Amino acid sequence: MNQANHSRFPAWSPRALLRNRAFLTVAIVILVWVVAGFAKPGFGSYGHLRYLLELAAVIGLVAIGQTYVVIAGGIDLSVGAIVTVSAVGVPLVALSGDGSGTFAVLIILVAATSIGFLNGLGVAYLRIHPMIMTLAMATFLQGVLILIAGGTAISAQNPLLAWLGNARIIGIPAGVLLWAVVSGAALAVLHATPFGARLYALGANPLASALSGINVQATTMAVYAVSGLAAGLAGVLILGMNGQGYVGIGDPYLLASIAAVVLGGTSILGGSGSYAGTIPGAILLVTITALITVVNASAGWRSILFGSLILLLLLLSGRESQRR
Amino acid sequence: MTPQAIIKANGLSKSFFGNPVLQNVSIALEPGRIHALLGENGAGKSTLINLLSGALAPDGGEIEIDGRSHRRLTPSEARRAGIAVVQQELSLTSDLSIAENIGLGAYPRRFGLIDYKALARKAREVCDLVGLEENLSTPVGDLPLGRRQMVEIAKALFRKPRILVLDEPTSSLSAHEAQTLTRLLQRLRAEGTAILYISHRLNEVMRLCEHVTVLKDGKVTADRSLQGVDAAGLVRLMVGRDPGDLFPHWTPSPERQTIVEVTGFSSGLLRDIDLEIKRGEILGLGGLVGQGQEDLLLGLYGALPASARRAVFNNVAGLPSSVSRANALGLAYVPADRKREGLHLIHSIAWNMMLPDFGKARGLSRRDPAAERKLATELADRLSIKGDLTRQVQALSGGNQQKVALAKWMPADPPILLLNDPTRGVDVETKREIYVLLRRFAAQGKAIVLSSSDTPELVHLCDRVAVMREGGIAALLEREKISEEAIVAAAMGAEAAKVAA
Repeated sequence: MNQANHSRFPAWSPRALLRNRAFLTVAIVILVWVVAGFAKPGFGSYGHLRYLLELAAVIGLVAIGQTYVVIAGGIDLSVGAIVTVSAVGVPLVALSGDGSGTFAVLIILVAATSIGFLNGLGVAYLRIHPMIMTLAMATFLQGVLILIAGGTAISAQNPLLAWLGNARIIGIPAGVLLWAVVSGAALAVLHATPFGARLYALGANPLASALSGINVQATTMAVYAVSGLAAGLAGVLILGMNGQGYVGIGDPYLLASIAAVVLGGTSILGGSGSYAGTIPGAILLVTITALITVVNASAGWRSILFGSLILLLLLLSGRESQRR
Repeated sequence: MTPQAIIKANGLSKSFFGNPVLQNVSIALEPGRIHALLGENGAGKSTLINLLSGALAPDGGEIEIDGRSHRRLTPSEARRAGIAVVQQELSLTSDLSIAENIGLGAYPRRFGLIDYKALARKAREVCDLVGLEENLSTPVGDLPLGRRQMVEIAKALFRKPRILVLDEPTSSLSAHEAQTLTRLLQRLRAEGTAILYISHRLNEVMRLCEHVTVLKDGKVTADRSLQGVDAAGLVRLMVGRDPGDLFPHWTPSPERQTIVEVTGFSSGLLRDIDLEIKRGEILGLGGLVGQGQEDLLLGLYGALPASARRAVFNNVAGLPSSVSRANALGLAYVPADRKREGLHLIHSIAWNMMLPDFGKARGLSRRDPAAERKLATELADRLSIKGDLTRQVQALSGGNQQKVALAKWMPADPPILLLNDPTRGVDVETKREIYVLLRRFAAQGKAIVLSSSDTPELVHLCDRVAVMREGGIAALLEREKISEEAIVAAAMGAEAAKVAA
């Protein structure tokens, strides 16, 4: 029996590791860090790497939801706006009796989840294309934010967030720890629960999934709600790190989240990939940004360089997946 | 002295993914003759047309046009040779006008631009031929199906073909339109056009055609003049085959208790049908393609909106409102198009087998990888799916893919199986395995509904056969009455009566 099992499910082999996109992305990150550490003094210092991880944590949190949505065959273009809603919203809902600020954070997380849920509702029941639905949602939120917050930055007086943004536990920033814990949960849900399996089913073949008894509508709504929650959580963290929120604070995270997902080897067409690749994807992204900042060039050139590097990396990894 | 054939196919063969669809098929089309091409669903008629029009390249054989032979024909060569095809699936662009559709790809030009005046004039001519009186600037999407079919025919005529191929042109036409078409074809024949005419309406064929080629499982079983042949003779020509020992021995199952009962059931094409499905039987659904068989299965499965005056499933009243509800009532569905509807091609064999359970289990419960592996191995052993179960399903042959599509329902042990053409594109060996499996299920007291485009399958496997026609049940044949002749006659005979009326 055991023998038969073995032939049906081949044992793990080192060769499989070389075809594992998550592992390859980790290898690239380490390679870049080692090379940059030697080339530029100070890059490899613990302080700098810790700083990079803090930046990556925000992208990584947003990209949890994006990874889920992309695996399920959709895309969420409203994550940037939801990050902003959360970063601007927490100071606005501050209540007098809420000394620790926990309550404000919870309200905002519920709100962010609801926004995602609305996205899911539009995609699942109104059959609006995810790109249109989430883009319209982003535009709508932008308008609401401008009406409420205007052009000013709003400072947060929230002890919980201040702790989240600045505390270190045995030398590790609280934000990075938050990212690590949430990542663990995200990976477990994706790979060890039926819900996670449904996401892969939906992204690979929605029709066959429906005919196999999977509730496509409910799963779609749930996955966009998760995306809203993850973006909301990232917004809370960024507010804690920044001390204040303003309209537009979340904008860079839209492209960053998609880039991290794709750099990590998740197919933009849905159905395959893992958050395990998105984590090094997010780290790679901030590392490249940091390296470009070192280059003595104007902001315009840096942006061009950044875009070109992303394309180059994607081309390389795309060729890799074709070779399989 | 017979006239020289314009186009001749000699010994054409074609396989799809290793399944031979045409084997050594020869046909010759002569000017001024209407040549009928007959055969059951899946006999290879459409493939033959696609070879003649250059849409597909043959694996073997040659096509001879005006005495010049070609290994293969490109679509443009076929067009230049004067071959025009009226497809069964309409190939019109619904947003373009009638005139634009007719001229598409062959627009008259003036100074490099489309000459709309000339287009309108020429389109008018062919429309008059087919009796289209509509304004030529009407978008085709606004026309009823029958009129669209006439536009399709006009489009073929616009190219002034020497060889006109019509694939079931009358299936969507009214009696009046069919008459217009008949007159048109007679006129084209007089003008010396070679016509290849495919139809399931036998009396039409008897009236119109002079010569017939019959295809059966990709082989020519008759190529003769229609003189002295009657309709019954044609049916014999189409179904005459030795079933061999492909099918397991049929033995009745002891259990015959009704498990599904619907009255006044409507869904999609279906209007107001009554049906009873019993434990221990295989109920066949026969008839021509697209007469509502799929709508019946999907409607019962809760995947298509349906209504019924009365419905009882497994002692529970009411129709299942969703697929998960249907699964809970003990129904399982295996789709005909397994690549698009049945399987997740990029995922592994084992993963595909677990899918219905993923849908059913609590979303955030823990999966048990060891149990999953054990179950997948058992299922693979039971259905003799060989090899590594972590391979992607798309790496498997059609037959093995079908086994995976069946296997995934077995853990739930559903008492009611709805199967939509489960042996389509499946090799003979796997077909046999599936047949044995289905009879075994029936013996275990399961109810099986088997929709099939393969008539022998219905004859040798089923306890009862419902022959469907135009969204209704044209005949319900009991075991002793089931024969290929009876099924084909029920699928077509009633149609003959309607056209005559």
